[in-house]
Amino acid sequence: MPERKTIEAYLEEVGAQIRWKRARPVVLWELERHLEDQRDAFANQGREDPEGLAVEEMGDPVAVGAELDLLHRPRPQWGLLAFTLLLGAAGAVLRLWLTRDFSIYFAEKPSHVVLGFALGCLALLGGYFLDVGRLGRYPGLIYPGALAVSAASLLCSPNISGASYYTRYVTLCFPVVYALWLYGWRGRGWRGQALAMLGIVPLAVICMMTPHLLALLLLLAAAFGMLLLAAVWDWFGIGRGKSVILPAAAAAGGLALLIRHIRTSGYLLSRLQTALHPELDPMGSGWTAIMMKQVLAVSRWLGEGSLGPVESYEKMVPDCGQSALLTTLIYRMGWLPFLLAVLALTALLVWIFCRCARQKSHLGRLVVLAVGMTLLGEALCSVAWNLGFTLLAADFPLVVGNLHTALIMGLLGLVLSVFRGDSIAREISGRPVKPPRLRVRLEIQRS
Amino acid sequence: MELDKSLISGSIPLLVMKLLEAGDLYGYQMIEELRRRSDDTFHLKAGTLYPLLHGLEEKGFVTAYEGEAAAGKPRRYYHLTERGREALREKEAAWNEYTRAVGQVLRGGACCAGA
Repeated sequence: MPERKTIEAYLEEVGAQIRWKRARPVVLWELERHLEDQRDAFANQGREDPEGLAVEEMGDPVAVGAELDLLHRPRPQWGLLAFTLLLGAAGAVLRLWLTRDFSIYFAEKPSHVVLGFALGCLALLGGYFLDVGRLGRYPGLIYPGALAVSAASLLCSPNISGASYYTRYVTLCFPVVYALWLYGWRGRGWRGQALAMLGIVPLAVICMMTPHLLALLLLLAAAFGMLLLAAVWDWFGIGRGKSVILPAAAAAGGLALLIRHIRTSGYLLSRLQTALHPELDPMGSGWTAIMMKQVLAVSRWLGEGSLGPVESYEKMVPDCGQSALLTTLIYRMGWLPFLLAVLALTALLVWIFCRCARQKSHLGRLVVLAVGMTLLGEALCSVAWNLGFTLLAADFPLVVGNLHTALIMGLLGLVLSVFRGDSIAREISGRPVKPPRLRVRLEIQRS
Repeated sequence: MELDKSLISGSIPLLVMKLLEAGDLYGYQMIEELRRRSDDTFHLKAGTLYPLLHGLEEKGFVTAYEGEAAAGKPRRYYHLTERGREALREKEAAWNEYTRAVGQVLRGGACCAGA
């Protein structure tokens, strides 16, 4: 007896040809709808076995599946991965080169740099193959997980320069953690939006406890941007206009509190004043900026600057191997290499934001935005700091710090994973996949 | 008369994009519309159509979105992008040139076309 052609069997065979699992539900969903339309049309015409005829109309399932398999591939972007690794390697070499003759306290140890780079490679590949889409399935696990890791880090991490050392790095991941948290509350109405916004509070508290002011500002800015995007997409199902009300009110309230705090506490105001006019406190908080400006004044366009034999650069510029590494770069190699480093990161950021704007997946766009804003904020603050505007210290992405570089490479891995599957599979990845329909057929045959 | 498949295969992207020029359609509608407009001459198989549509989407010539068809059934509609319209114009020009040249040869060449 010839095997009966069914829609299920046909789809199963097409699906078996498509190697990328994530593309399968999207492609098969569309084919299934087509087969149903065709079957109904044949049934209306009064044809016998409309389902079998509809399947026959589709053509060879293996050939169709193979064609679709060619089109829907995860396509690892080896070129982009290699380029990111190259940037990380260039940063590592630069760190070693710039601090080569510093004393033991400031020089980068080659073993540490190599270890940091190896960790960075693992983080990049880990982020890339872990995939944002997969992380998006577990926002309820990732958010409490991040809080638990932060709490453990606050308790166990050494305190260096008045801050919890490892927690400073953990907090840089908070914009991404928040993106996943926000994603988990879509379609839950006002309550969902309120809870999504409340999720900012514990993360902000950890930033303050660390303390890491830049991470706090980045989190708040990124969260506000993401909430606005969620409103535009009407994620909470309460209408676009209404979705803007709560974030706008919270942002206005937060801004008012910040202004009030600056006026009353005096600390932030004095910090801002010193950043603008370091000469007001030359032996205190203005010292770093004054020294940096002196070094920059004797730096050349290309080649090492000339401080004179008496001066020791290492003793002159505080933190010259870390947050002031760009100043070290300018002094030791010149303004041109510094501009090239800034230009390379700017090109990377422009590319990331351009791809973000074209991104189909909402979750992907949020995560790319979160990482992009983190990198941009760090880069801007680091450049400003190294040019003598010492308001917020930051590590320049992919250049400063071994652990920091590893973390940034991990975040870039996540960004590249968003761009990897930029095909139709992303577009409908949020759709719940229908469970396969089971059909029981009983045949009684005379023996 | 049965039409030679090799004559049709190269022109399918042109035909599909031409259908989408008039408005957004989903796969099944495209096949029906193509059959109707060609007096049942072009009977496109769905197995050919969907890889083609997904390929056009990868190239940015069409975009897809989920819309509701009759009786509220969700379907994946395709929309011709500006880039797709440009590609369509080029393909149409190339096709016209091709059919003009073939016609000319079949009629006996440029020198004898008016004879």
